[in-house]
Amino acid sequence: MGKSIVVTSGKGGVGKTTTVANIGTGLAQIGRRVCLVDADIGLRNLDVVMGLENRIVYDLIDVVEGHCRIRSALIKDKRLDNLFLLPAAQTREKDAVSPEQMKTLVEELKNEFDYVLVDCPAGIEQGFRNAVAGADTAIIVTTPEVSAVRDADRIVGLLEACELYEPQLIINRLRPDMVRKGDMMNTDDVIDILAIKLLGIVPDDESIIVSTNRGEPAVLDRKSMSGQAFRNIVRRLEGESVPFLPLEDNSVVKRLLRLFSIGGRS
Amino acid sequence: MAKEACIIKGTKHGISILIPSGLDFAEVLAQLRARLASAQEFFTGATVYVSTADRELGPEEKRQLEQTVEEFGMVISKKEDLEAAAVVTERREEPKDEGGEATLLVRRTIRSGQRIWYDGNVVILGDVNPGAEVVCTGDILVLGCLRGVAHAGCNGNVHATVFAFRLEPTQLRIANYISRSPDEKLPKPLGPEYARVCDNVIQISAYQSSQF
Repeated sequence: MGKSIVVTSGKGGVGKTTTVANIGTGLAQIGRRVCLVDADIGLRNLDVVMGLENRIVYDLIDVVEGHCRIRSALIKDKRLDNLFLLPAAQTREKDAVSPEQMKTLVEELKNEFDYVLVDCPAGIEQGFRNAVAGADTAIIVTTPEVSAVRDADRIVGLLEACELYEPQLIINRLRPDMVRKGDMMNTDDVIDILAIKLLGIVPDDESIIVSTNRGEPAVLDRKSMSGQAFRNIVRRLEGESVPFLPLEDNSVVKRLLRLFSIGGRS
Repeated sequence: MAKEACIIKGTKHGISILIPSGLDFAEVLAQLRARLASAQEFFTGATVYVSTADRELGPEEKRQLEQTVEEFGMVISKKEDLEAAAVVTERREEPKDEGGEATLLVRRTIRSGQRIWYDGNVVILGDVNPGAEVVCTGDILVLGCLRGVAHAGCNGNVHATVFAFRLEPTQLRIANYISRSPDEKLPKPLGPEYARVCDNVIQISAYQSSQF
């Protein structure tokens, strides 16, 4: 029996879909059987971020309405054989599925997969209720902004009401240079408010934009900083204790200095 | 309002009132009265032609009609003019099926999340964006860029085709055949192309007018 995790945030645009794509791909890379479920019906994106849009024939709504079997709707990833996507319907709305149906669906998927990751839509309405219905645990994604943290706090409360306790937090798009100057909330500020367990910190990274547009999750890119952050998150989900990334200043001078110091040591 | 009991139109001969068949005469009169009353003095002094389509008016009905019209200060024209007016009145009949195929003309861009379903051919004067879907039993013609999903001949017609000025679909389906765009980026098509089923696969060719 696998584990279902909902990735949610309240606020839109903080990186839920990117997080689901990267954690899912990362887990599959280390050999886990993973199913990604896009619960954002009517505004599906996960297929695009995964680069699988052109393979969609059936979707989640077709499954719950009984037009096809769950197997026919699952799309195998083009890179990893043990990674699957259940896409959302684009031409329907959130109320086309009920929380009970989602729960049944996720339960069924848990029998086949080690991890079922549900990509939750922004907001706290029907779409949110659907996405959290079948979840065993939750990951909350936020950015170090007051508004995103405020929404994340609201989500923690709503998850408690759904009996999902102890959600884990990912702080996305952190800019160490700005934090150092005091222009951005730092990790401690965010943790102070939310008081939940930190799962990972993902630095702001231009390569994410490139990888998202290309449909290739950053976690596959060995050189990407954010990819490294996601690989660490994957290991933490697997129960390993991994120290948080030292998010240093990445200016050219600092990088050169670091290069020399490494060169000097060896 | 249910069925309109009278249609008032301006013609070069004056005002034409068309009374369709199949409605109770009292109802017609009541509606006409209401319409004229709402227009206040707009029609005062106008010459009126009354056309009754295929309805036969009895002498009493005709008298009542004239009375109503005159109440609002309009002048009813002589009978011979009435026939002339009937020519200009439009008859909204369904076009007779003369063996042609049903075709839906869509004058807009189909955006993500929008879906067109039609029993027949579909012509789109606009684009079909990624995430949009066009499904029909006949051919699909996109006079624009097709980037979404197109399914022609969805009830099993393998002879259906998909045509577009720029054919860059996410996925193409014809009858029971499915093909998807390649994962690598392809050079953009330079001209109109069409897709059809050839040897059990969907084949895309450049469009030349002589082929059709």
